Amino acid sequence: MGTPLDLFAAASAEGAWTVTEVTRRARVVIEAGLPALWIRGEVTGFKAWRSGHWYFSLRDRFSQIRCVMFSTDNRRLPAPPTEGMQVFAFAQPSIYEDKGEFQLTIKELLSTEQGGLWKLAFEKARAALLKDGLLDPARKRRLPPFPRRIAVVTSPDGAALRDIEAVIARRWPPPLAELVLVAAKVQGDGAEASVCAALARLGKLDVDVAIVGRGGGSAEDLWTFNSERVARAVAAASVPVISAVGHETDVTLCDLVADLRAPTPSAAAEAATPDRAEVLVHLEHLAERLARGLSLRSQRVVDRLDRAGDRLSGAMQWRLEESGALLTAHGARLDALSPLKVLARGYAVARDEGGAVLKRVKQFPAGREFRLRVTDGEIDARVR
Amino acid sequence: MPEFGEQLERLEAIVRQLEAEDLDLDAALKLFEEGIERLRAAREQLTAAEVKVKKALKGDGPSR
Repeated sequence: MGTPLDLFAAASAEGAWTVTEVTRRARVVIEAGLPALWIRGEVTGFKAWRSGHWYFSLRDRFSQIRCVMFSTDNRRLPAPPTEGMQVFAFAQPSIYEDKGEFQLTIKELLSTEQGGLWKLAFEKARAALLKDGLLDPARKRRLPPFPRRIAVVTSPDGAALRDIEAVIARRWPPPLAELVLVAAKVQGDGAEASVCAALARLGKLDVDVAIVGRGGGSAEDLWTFNSERVARAVAAASVPVISAVGHETDVTLCDLVADLRAPTPSAAAEAATPDRAEVLVHLEHLAERLARGLSLRSQRVVDRLDRAGDRLSGAMQWRLEESGALLTAHGARLDALSPLKVLARGYAVARDEGGAVLKRVKQFPAGREFRLRVTDGEIDARVR
Repeated sequence: MPEFGEQLERLEAIVRQLEAEDLDLDAALKLFEEGIERLRAAREQLTAAEVKVKKALKGDGPSR
């Protein structure tokens, strides 16, 4: 047996180093010699721990490196990478002292695929919504033509609210419609839950339509409106929803599920309201038609009276004419019976001085004077 | 007062009826009078507009 090993001497520079010392030293050397760098590789063996930290390896054809991405860093990402996904990572090479393992602490992770992780998460959520029928165009509800109360789900101090207020004040101002602000956090931690809670409250607010949105922002800022949870809350809203996420180029999940997608909050306010000036013109038009309608109606009545009058006088005329013809006919017959007509045919009438007609021979003794009526006059005569 | 939308819908119906249906003068006059009344109310609603934004902050709906 030699001298017993001095455990404490092992910590000195002259003796053996402790494992801890070696790993710490290695870590210092590696971190100093390999400052944070971009690395590309394929993701393998991905595992998300309950703590929220992600563990996986990056590999290529010949090597692989253990990686960790802490929850504080991966929280900003819309979705975890999938197995075999090609990624770019911004990483700090280091030694994980507990295990003496060489590893990368990943600060940023980008997929090399089109659109990256955002796209991946978006497509996954979209597929889920599609499967549940939430993207069916037939689901889209009609907006009320003359809304009384318009809910605005947005940040109380964002530009979106001011833009919406301005448009509504111009087009369809109170008391025609009232704006009801349903305050929600639209970005950062807790934004999803806040927007979902605001959407769920719509049913209690006696509103006709809701505008959900925010002014523009980066893809990350808009992520709240790409959340499947928010999209489902939009679909479940008690009133038609106009999404106004303020990003003309990217369509969000919220846009897809909403009853109407507006490119900006101002456009959403325009879509939600009629234009007072146009409605006034329409009213004037209706007033004209109303007046014309009545005069048309009364004109019809007057026309009918006129027609009735015409028919009445027409009938009278006919009657008169008919009576006239009758009279003529009767007249002709009367005429035919007239004694003058008989005389005209050559007959004569004899009358005595008193005018009595003398019809018989014995009324004509010799010497009697009488008057003879012929067609063109009277003759004094005496019986021989 | 009825909502603006209802008001306008009824007014439009009255105009259509007055234009299309064969009404006696009495019925037409009655419709016309109702139409004028609704027109007046609708105009009033449109013109009596004053900007005020009601804010329903955290957890409370409209106060009533």
